[in-house]
Amino acid sequence: MLQYEAIHPRYETSPEIEKIVEAVSGCYQCGTCSGSCPVAPAGGMDYTPRTIMRMIQAGLEDEVLASETVWTCSACYSCAVRCPRDIDITDVMIRLRNLALIRGYPARTGVAHRGKVYNTDFMEIVRRLGRIYEPELVIRYHLKTNPLNLMGMAPVGLKMLLKHKLRLLPDPIEGRREVQGIFYRLRKEEARREQQVREEQQARKRREAHAGDEAPEEGAR
Amino acid sequence: MKYAYFPGCSQSSTAEEYNRSLLAVAKALGTMELTEIPDWNCCGATPAAAIVSPTLPTSLAARNLSIARDMGMNEIVAPCAACFKNLRKASHTLNENLELRAQARGALRSRRPDGPASETASLAVGDRDLSRAPEVRHPLDVVINDVGLDNVPVKKPLHGLKVASYYGCLLTRPSPSFDDAEHPTTMDRLMEKLGAEAVDWAYKTKCCGGGIYMFREDVSFAMSADVMAHAKAAGANCLAVGCGFCQLMLDLYQSKLEKIRRTTFRLPILFFSQLMGLAMDLDRAELGLEKLIVSPFALLAKTVDAPEGSIEKKAPPKAAKLKKWGEP
Repeated sequence: MLQYEAIHPRYETSPEIEKIVEAVSGCYQCGTCSGSCPVAPAGGMDYTPRTIMRMIQAGLEDEVLASETVWTCSACYSCAVRCPRDIDITDVMIRLRNLALIRGYPARTGVAHRGKVYNTDFMEIVRRLGRIYEPELVIRYHLKTNPLNLMGMAPVGLKMLLKHKLRLLPDPIEGRREVQGIFYRLRKEEARREQQVREEQQARKRREAHAGDEAPEEGAR
Repeated sequence: MKYAYFPGCSQSSTAEEYNRSLLAVAKALGTMELTEIPDWNCCGATPAAAIVSPTLPTSLAARNLSIARDMGMNEIVAPCAACFKNLRKASHTLNENLELRAQARGALRSRRPDGPASETASLAVGDRDLSRAPEVRHPLDVVINDVGLDNVPVKKPLHGLKVASYYGCLLTRPSPSFDDAEHPTTMDRLMEKLGAEAVDWAYKTKCCGGGIYMFREDVSFAMSADVMAHAKAAGANCLAVGCGFCQLMLDLYQSKLEKIRRTTFRLPILFFSQLMGLAMDLDRAELGLEKLIVSPFALLAKTVDAPEGSIEKKAPPKAAKLKKWGEP
């Protein structure tokens, strides 16, 4: 199965994915990335970085983008500085995370979902205020995931409050309109590109349907 | 030297003492003049690159870089490791990649002169000029390479402190940064200059897991606990850090890490700027030592503040033996 996929990668064409595939094409599976990764041995990844590299090469796009690994990579660049093939693995992970979000990949696990919520909410606050406002982030995040956890945060919050380590009021910047403009324009550009990709995909699917003799695709895990 | 100063979000909340102590040290040094970038915006930390498009962090940083350039500054000092990495990366990108620079300029174009008169109102209305982005530096780099270790006035040597210098992930990576990615020594050299003992240990650049704390608490605690266990085993009695988030993970959650490992660490986590301030005998109120969750005062009373000669008499505590890898 894997071998077949390697010969016939089934990528949905997109310049972003092509960039990623090209970036990892030199990977020879030495495993330095997985050996350097602090998250994988602590049990935070469903696929190790090396496996992800191989999955990209094999064309397992759906599996890669639905993985926990793309969210739990802590972006510490340990793998990137050690890779003997000079692949910026951290950058690849971040690009995958970006694709998983933009493409609206259904989160296969709770972790992927929570990673999605955290990253989105963080940037939504930055978009609105120009700076982060931690209490809102924590409250929003827990309300969207597990509100009961907010109770667990209370002792920590109190500790920080007593040490004056908590920003009580948001601190919006004067130039927040400009920051909002950055989000607005980049988002519009991104939507345009995604629309293009989707149209190409649909056209391809129509062509395949006409061909008619396609074997039914095996479902994802 | 004059530098534009980018404090970053956490330096006004969770790591307020980092900001305060750094400014106090810079003032006392005299050769490190920091002027805050007016109306700076968040660099986006780690989430920025995942949202909207991979060019978002560059575009967010471009605004800060261009304000700093308009101030007439060629160099920016960013104390937070995430800001430091994001701004540094963006500065290189804008200077080297013309395509991405055009994209960032497109995202920033025609900003409106809205809002009440602010510091930014003095800037010309129109597109931001993103050419010649300033160089971005970490205060540790500035202290070592610009100020120079010999010019740090040590009035009260930190005798008795065994400092494990913890660089974390983003101070030295992605390389090239100001120090070696695998075995950095800048902070260790600074600690020795301050009169402390620099402990040699293996987890200097291991990630604390702060970036995934919110959605994988268990994993990030396991990572932080590893760091603490190794510092303790190497015989350190405190840690020096240069990142607000590392400090938060190791200090605020230290009691939780202890519970996970079923042990006691009790290691104060100090910012390197606080240790500099202590050695330079600055006003303690300016160093924000009282804000640390694991109080450093008992340790300081036993070591730095102890009467002359009392430390040498005591035999140094024996360093705990390193257990097998992965064991608590």
